[in-house]
Amino acid sequence: MIGLSHYLIVSALIFSIGLIGVLRRRNLLMLFFATEVMLNAVNIAFAAISHYYNDLTGQMFAFFIIAIAASEVAVGLGLLIVLYKKYGTLNLDDFASMKG
Amino acid sequence: MDNILSILVFFPAIAGLLGFVVDKESARAYGITVAAIEFLLSLWLWFSFDTANAGMQFVEMIPLIPSFGISYYIGVDGISLFIILMATLMTLIGMVGMSTTKNIKNMIITLLFLEMTMVGVFVALDAIIFYLFWELSLVPMLYIIGAWGGPLRIYASVKFFLYTFTGSLIMLVGMLFMAYIYHNTTGIWSFAITDWYALVLPVNYQLWLFVAFFFGFAIKVPMFPFHTWLPYAHGQAPTIGSVILAAVLLKMGTYGFVRFSLPMFPDASVMMITPIAVLAIIMIIYTAMVAYAQKDIKQVIAYSSVSHMGIIMLGIFAMNAEGISGSIFQMLSHGIVSGALFMLVGVIYDRRHTKLMSEFGGLASVMPKYAVIFGIMLMASVGLPLTIGFVGEFLVLLGFYQVSPIMTILAGTSIIIGAIYMLAVYKKSFFGPVTNEANKTLKDLDAKETWSLVPLVLIVIWLGIYPKPVLEPIDNSVKAMLVFMDKKAITQEAKDMIRVSKSTEGGI
Amino acid sequence: MENLVYIALFAPFVGSMFAALFGMSPKQTFVGIIASSLLFISFAASAVLAFHVYTTGTAIHVTMMEWISAGDLMIPFGFLVDQVSVTMMTVVTLVSTVVHIYSIGYMDHDKSFNRFFSYLSAFVFSMMILVMSDNFAGLFIGWEGVGVCSWLLIGFWYHKEDVAREKNPSISPSWAANEAFIVNRIAGLGMLIGIFIIYWNVGSLQYDVVFADLPNLSSSVLNAAALALFIGAMGKSAQFPLHTWLTDAMEGPTPVSALIHAATMVTAGVFLIIRANPIFSMTPEVSFFIAALGTFVAFFAASMALVNRDLKRIIAFSTLSQLGYMFAAAGLGAYWIALFHLAAHAFFKALLFLGAGNVMHAMDDELDIFKMGGLKKAMNWTYIYMGVASLALAGIPIFAGFFSKDAIIETAFNEGTYVLWAILVLTAGMTAFYSFRQVFLTFHGAKRYKDEIHPHEMYKFVLIAMAPLAILAVIAGFFMGGFQTFVTKLLPNYEMSHHTHELIVVLTAVVLVFAVGGIWLAYKKYANGLKRDEKLENSFLYKLLANQYYIPQFYEEFITKPYAMISEKMWKDIDMKIVDATVDGIAKFLYKSGDKARAMQTGNLSNYLNWMAVGGVLLLIVAAISAMLA
Repeated sequence: MIGLSHYLIVSALIFSIGLIGVLRRRNLLMLFFATEVMLNAVNIAFAAISHYYNDLTGQMFAFFIIAIAASEVAVGLGLLIVLYKKYGTLNLDDFASMKG
Repeated sequence: MDNILSILVFFPAIAGLLGFVVDKESARAYGITVAAIEFLLSLWLWFSFDTANAGMQFVEMIPLIPSFGISYYIGVDGISLFIILMATLMTLIGMVGMSTTKNIKNMIITLLFLEMTMVGVFVALDAIIFYLFWELSLVPMLYIIGAWGGPLRIYASVKFFLYTFTGSLIMLVGMLFMAYIYHNTTGIWSFAITDWYALVLPVNYQLWLFVAFFFGFAIKVPMFPFHTWLPYAHGQAPTIGSVILAAVLLKMGTYGFVRFSLPMFPDASVMMITPIAVLAIIMIIYTAMVAYAQKDIKQVIAYSSVSHMGIIMLGIFAMNAEGISGSIFQMLSHGIVSGALFMLVGVIYDRRHTKLMSEFGGLASVMPKYAVIFGIMLMASVGLPLTIGFVGEFLVLLGFYQVSPIMTILAGTSIIIGAIYMLAVYKKSFFGPVTNEANKTLKDLDAKETWSLVPLVLIVIWLGIYPKPVLEPIDNSVKAMLVFMDKKAITQEAKDMIRVSKSTEGGI
Repeated sequence: MENLVYIALFAPFVGSMFAALFGMSPKQTFVGIIASSLLFISFAASAVLAFHVYTTGTAIHVTMMEWISAGDLMIPFGFLVDQVSVTMMTVVTLVSTVVHIYSIGYMDHDKSFNRFFSYLSAFVFSMMILVMSDNFAGLFIGWEGVGVCSWLLIGFWYHKEDVAREKNPSISPSWAANEAFIVNRIAGLGMLIGIFIIYWNVGSLQYDVVFADLPNLSSSVLNAAALALFIGAMGKSAQFPLHTWLTDAMEGPTPVSALIHAATMVTAGVFLIIRANPIFSMTPEVSFFIAALGTFVAFFAASMALVNRDLKRIIAFSTLSQLGYMFAAAGLGAYWIALFHLAAHAFFKALLFLGAGNVMHAMDDELDIFKMGGLKKAMNWTYIYMGVASLALAGIPIFAGFFSKDAIIETAFNEGTYVLWAILVLTAGMTAFYSFRQVFLTFHGAKRYKDEIHPHEMYKFVLIAMAPLAILAVIAGFFMGGFQTFVTKLLPNYEMSHHTHELIVVLTAVVLVFAVGGIWLAYKKYANGLKRDEKLENSFLYKLLANQYYIPQFYEEFITKPYAMISEKMWKDIDMKIVDATVDGIAKFLYKSGDKARAMQTGNLSNYLNWMAVGGVLLLIVAAISAMLA
């Protein structure tokens, strides 16, 4: 029988994969993908917990997150294209104008 | 003139603002005029002061942030009155004798702002107002040292600023905590010092608060081991900066002990007598010895300042009227004498652009008038009877003898080692043959210098022979404070230690 | 009478201020004349007051104004003219008047003539405050005041440079002045402590209140007060171990030595003991210590005088020795005898110093008696004056010193302190020897000075001015009985016991034998010129005495130099390297840690994200720990 904890473990695993992606990737596009992975890990957790408590609020929230993620990708990709046009690369190591 | 105090505080500041439109050539005259008017106003304050009244006078109160009990609340008593007078006097004298010519307009304006903050500190009866002026006084001084100072001026001014600022932040925490406790006990917010007086605190609270305030005041005094900013500040500051710093700014610290620590935390103060007395004695002996090792006349006087401030600290914690009154009198005396000594060093620095003793020798032969005035100030500094220096030092030592004879003997060595370093300076610079060619043609005091120094000489002798007009109001306020402390103290040790004068034993 | 008190007190002050007006201008003889006249007025007023006190037997007490009042302390400027203070006033003003007139002649060629009179009169004013004050604080004003004037006057020729100790034991006038001031400050601290003890136990500093309250005090308090006051007296009266400054003080002009370092200021310590005799008579242990120390100093100083070659230093040592006698008398309870010796000593010692001044004047400031000799012819009057003074000092009958010193020696016998008596008798012999060694070496024998020096007698008016002192040095002893009845109205009387009275002839004879023996020895050795004894001069004892037992060197090596060294170390090693370095260290730590932390700011988003993750993990851990703790 698949219970809440299985879902949560999957969610945590996916979140960790996303986190490692965020930490290790150097390409901005890949960073975006990694954050999407993390968001979806959270979505899984929300949906599972919502089902567990029989409370729809969590699933509602998951919808919101999907919507936000979509709009974020739209804006973010736009920005990435501008960046790429300007610098010709999306490698993070080449953007260090904030160096202290 | 009911609001004479407000006028005293803000007149120099407003005049300073107007100073921006004054012509550069007349800036000096303008500054002297303003300072003179301010001094006359403070004299007027003294004459209208009721010497028999030991409480606060000329009180003004305007609520500023009523929800937090912060108000513009000022007043004077015998303790603060004369320090205000000294502040206005030394500003005036310093301006008259000032030899700075670079950016004179900025200097005058800065000094006038500084005067506002100094007077403000001593009239404030609200902790926030007090803190405001206390911190504001750092800014003009930072500017004076940083802009007109010697080669190490940036280091010295930053050190001065940060060091004292750190201390005052701890003090600010103490103030906020005090207000918090006041709110907890009474249910209302108040930052008024007089309200705080009425609050009886448990001993452990008193101790913590005492320590918090101690850092703010002790660094300003400066007490050993927090004194090392002072030699740098004095060493780099222009003459006028040293004069104001030694005469007035240091007194803020000792004044704080009298205004805050003693009446608010009587039990903690009594418990702290020994540690503070030990620090004070280290200050007295150690810095006097360090002063003896100096090569630079100004550094000698800077270190001697620390030594004399040790005497003042000792007197404050004598817990009897003799000691505390003596200590407040010593604040005035040290202000005038060390101010004058710094001006005298300035005189020779203007002529030779050096302050090293090895450069001089035999000055008494070339500059007799200068030597006479220096000699009088030297004698006042070592506490010769019938000069202003004796009265305070004598009363402090007398007062502290009741607390601890051994410590008094140790502190009393200041009259010996004080004489050692001062006489060594005098011998090296003024006695002997004139060995340095450059000194043979030195000019004696000019009119400007004479006019700024002679009034100080007169005050030194007048208050040495007849200190009563000053000492009496101080003494009245101190006696009243002791009666109050004695009533307020909760531990028996504190009640035993605080010695109420016989004349006020029945209460006031 | 009140006005006379103020006239006696303030006339010297007016003189000083008047002279100070001309302090920076060239010599004006009238300044000296006016200062001297004012001094004479002061003397006249003192004499009238003395007569008044003598005839009526009552003291005059005036209070001018309040000085310091704080807490329960109230110190007025109050002046008391009683038997003791009026004696001191008369002696001080008389000697001062003579010295002032003398100085007009002596300082004739000095360009700081006016300044000298200003200082000298200021000294007399301080001394008058010292003796006239009616409370301990007022006494302290005078005490410090005379200290400053002494500083100014010893260092009067401040422009002289420092030389090595071998060349001049006093190094320089300014050095000697500072030494005197600082040593007196040590004593001043003792005095202050005494004042504090008295104040906190009695509640007042007025003599009458304090003395009336003494029976209520515990003996430990009394002992502490007496000891503290005596430490004060030791400094001012240059008692061992605070004695080195007195001989160095001879760097000052000779009139100064006569007035301050012989007749008046150095006797202030004795005066203090006499003034505070109710305290000291209740503390027998401290009093005995005073007597023993006094006796020791009498002998100790006389021994150094035996071999010294410096005209003024010999007299200074003899002053030290005579002060020892006074302390011996005061310590043994014979206060009036101490006071009498004080007065008599003031006359003949001032005369001796002024005579020495004449010699210096004649010899172009030469002080080495080995380089004099045969001055009798050229300076007949000075010879007579110095001879008379030396006879008085040696204690030859009919001269003043005979009566006063003999009484002290008898007191020591009378008290049963035979060791003290024996030392004092021996010292009397030594005193006679060194006094006449000096007289003979200076005035007798063949001349040993350089040919370009032409000795000449001092001005006539100076010699006339010295006459009163010479007369008093001869006749003062005859007034001993009258003096006793006069001052013992106030001071405790001291009479020899019946037993001593019977032996008085024998005792006097013993002292006389020693005194005459000393003179005879000096005559044998020195009257016919100087025969140097190389062997003796190279002996250890001779060198020890000539170098003042190496005490000044000891002080320099073990006090002055270590003090300077420790000061230097405190500054450079402690203040700079520990205290200040700690403060700077904290500042540097903050600065450095900021500087290091700056490296985090790489500008690389990936790094930032890593740090963010670290922060998140840390927060999680903190949350977990706090959840567990809760």
